[in-house]
Amino acid sequence: MTVKVRIPTPLQKLTNGKSEVECSARTIGEMVDVLEKDFPGMKERLTEGGKVRRFINIYVNEEDIRFLNKEGTALKDGDAISIVPAIAGGR
Amino acid sequence: MLSITRSDLRTIIDHCNAGYPDEACGILAGRLGRVERVYCMANARPGPASYEMDPEEQFRVMKDVQLAGLEMLGTFHSHPGGQAYPSGIDVERAYWPGTLFPNYPDIVHVIVSLIDRQNPVVRGFSIDSGTVSEVGLEVLDQVLR
Repeated sequence: MTVKVRIPTPLQKLTNGKSEVECSARTIGEMVDVLEKDFPGMKERLTEGGKVRRFINIYVNEEDIRFLNKEGTALKDGDAISIVPAIAGGR
Repeated sequence: MLSITRSDLRTIIDHCNAGYPDEACGILAGRLGRVERVYCMANARPGPASYEMDPEEQFRVMKDVQLAGLEMLGTFHSHPGGQAYPSGIDVERAYWPGTLFPNYPDIVHVIVSLIDRQNPVVRGFSIDSGTVSEVGLEVLDQVLR
């Protein structure tokens, strides 16, 4: 499945400045592995212990993968994946 | 410098007061350093010392900003019982986890202190490369669009 992945600014150092890359993967977990092969360092930025890091949101089209099947979320041809840092804080 | 109309500033303060005693949050969008839209948003982790934008609402708003041809110029959140200055957690969350790469380079982090609810203090900051610096807020009495 070929999907488009939107890369947020703080990770564009790993993609040579590209804000969007194509990737062939069947699930979000697989997508992370493929991105790691193409852009070493990506897996560590995106995941911790095999799970997407807290305060990093990943959307398939417009849906948050936490409400789908998390890392096991299936991808289909043409899906647009967005990686978006959460906006959060506290005292 | 971030320019904002008095009425948009009022919108921010009203949203923060409505969320009191919990923190409240939102996104500021516009062009060329001038705020044109204030998005008052839900706090998905409400508490007097915590906020997190609802991820789906955040995504929708960011898309709306882009479709309108605007930029996300800043975010705002309240400190119901704290000073108008970024907390340690505010600073930590401004960066990609484990790095000093800002999640949203160039945005202004606007913080509203409600210690004195009759006289809220509103200040803006940039958080970049391990440094917090104040960014001036220019309050416009008229809408100059």
